[in-house]
Amino acid sequence: MAKLFDVKLVFTQIPELLKYLPTTLYLTAIALVIGLVVGLLIALIRMKKIPVLNQIAIAFVSVMRGTPIIVQLYITYFGIPIALKYINYYYGTHYDINAVPGIVFAMIALGLNQSAFDSETIRAAIQSVDRGQIEAAKSIGMSGFQVLRRVILPQAGSVALLPLGNSLIALIKGTSLAFTCSVVEMTAAGKILAGRNYRYFEAYCTLAIIYWVLTFILERVLALIEKKISIPEQAPETSTTEKVEIPVTQEVAA
Amino acid sequence: MSLIEIRNLSKKFGNNVILDGVDLNINQGEVVAIIGPSGTGKSTLLRCLNLLEKPENGSVSVDGKNYNLTTKSSKEVLALRQETEMVFQQFNLFKHKDALNNVMEGLRVVKKLPKAEARRIAVAELEKVGMSDRLHHYPRHLSGGQQQRVAIARALALKPKLLLMDEPTSALDPELVGEVLLTIKRAAREGNTILLVTHEMDFVRNVANKIIFLENGKIVAEGTPKEIFENPKNERLREFLRNINMLRTADDYVI
Repeated sequence: MAKLFDVKLVFTQIPELLKYLPTTLYLTAIALVIGLVVGLLIALIRMKKIPVLNQIAIAFVSVMRGTPIIVQLYITYFGIPIALKYINYYYGTHYDINAVPGIVFAMIALGLNQSAFDSETIRAAIQSVDRGQIEAAKSIGMSGFQVLRRVILPQAGSVALLPLGNSLIALIKGTSLAFTCSVVEMTAAGKILAGRNYRYFEAYCTLAIIYWVLTFILERVLALIEKKISIPEQAPETSTTEKVEIPVTQEVAA
Repeated sequence: MSLIEIRNLSKKFGNNVILDGVDLNINQGEVVAIIGPSGTGKSTLLRCLNLLEKPENGSVSVDGKNYNLTTKSSKEVLALRQETEMVFQQFNLFKHKDALNNVMEGLRVVKKLPKAEARRIAVAELEKVGMSDRLHHYPRHLSGGQQQRVAIARALALKPKLLLMDEPTSALDPELVGEVLLTIKRAAREGNTILLVTHEMDFVRNVANKIIFLENGKIVAEGTPKEIFENPKNERLREFLRNINMLRTADDYVI
């Protein structure tokens, strides 16, 4: 009887699939950036309650969170070409949809999906920043953008780090659905490989190992960042070279 | 001409009139204390001068430069905020930065000074408030009094024309009040112009050059500590001082 489960193959085909790791990482990185940037914009729009944009943002977040990612990928992959055909037809333009590689659709769909979730995390984190510190920053003469960059984002960042890390991990695994946009990333490559030797089960085991190791590394990196940005528990040593004491009582009353 | 001239400052919250056409002059190097019952707009007056609240009406001139307090121009808002600095009741230090970086922040980001120079100024200011041994302590490592001293250094480092202090000792343990009052007193002696809201009447008596009694959004009485505490003419002011036990005549002790 042929081997029912080829344990050796699970490990020997790892290098074969790792060739597609860059595609997975590339997809993840771009979707992450889209997610954070659009997510921050949505969070700001919702907090400032900018009319019209606020309602659009609320609807967008609701739809994105309320529909499966695979459906969103299909809608993007089939919807954008149809929209482009309309535009070409009505405006007489000649945009070529075939010139756009499938990975771009996957990046947009995954990125926008991320942004819906990230926007809520970012909004909550920004709202957790102490109003008093924002006022202090304004009162020393910082512009709105400087307050955001120097005070709000660093503090919101440490609050948002863990939930954003969660969503990044979900994203890495979400890229395995990019085959719907005809992108050959690791999971798609695993299926193709298995299609050749009918070792599907082994291919999925290999993929499971790779994704888990990837996530494990990411968890370590996040833990490192968390440690780096956290404020130290312990006060540093007070420098003893020059101990400055304020003699209180007499001088105040004098 | 006074260094600071506040004209017709009015502020409402909804239908509630908080400040009702306040006029006030402050001279160079003066320490002006605002006293009065709670809810009479003392803090709001300070916050309007730094545009943390938008008044309905009013203008302020600082050293001859005139600012409309109802301005919508963010350039004008930033310019005015750089003339004045605020010390808050709750200190409001940036909690993700150590003492040194709290003081350097405005010098670097707003005044755009080179790092070495900003650091030199920050260390000097922290030294003046007696915090030079704790440059790398974060706010969470510092007591309330120490945090407030760092906050005062942060404000003074930017060389404001007018230093606004909003009940700087109200959130402190009684034991820590002294060190902050001393720091304020030193700042006053150095010639800083200060507008101060406080309930520390003994301190006001000793340090302020001028006292403003604010009630229902209006300046009801104004004078030197001597005039205010020893010879208050206004009936409402007398009542206020009686209530806080600052006016002691034999009749006030009802047996």
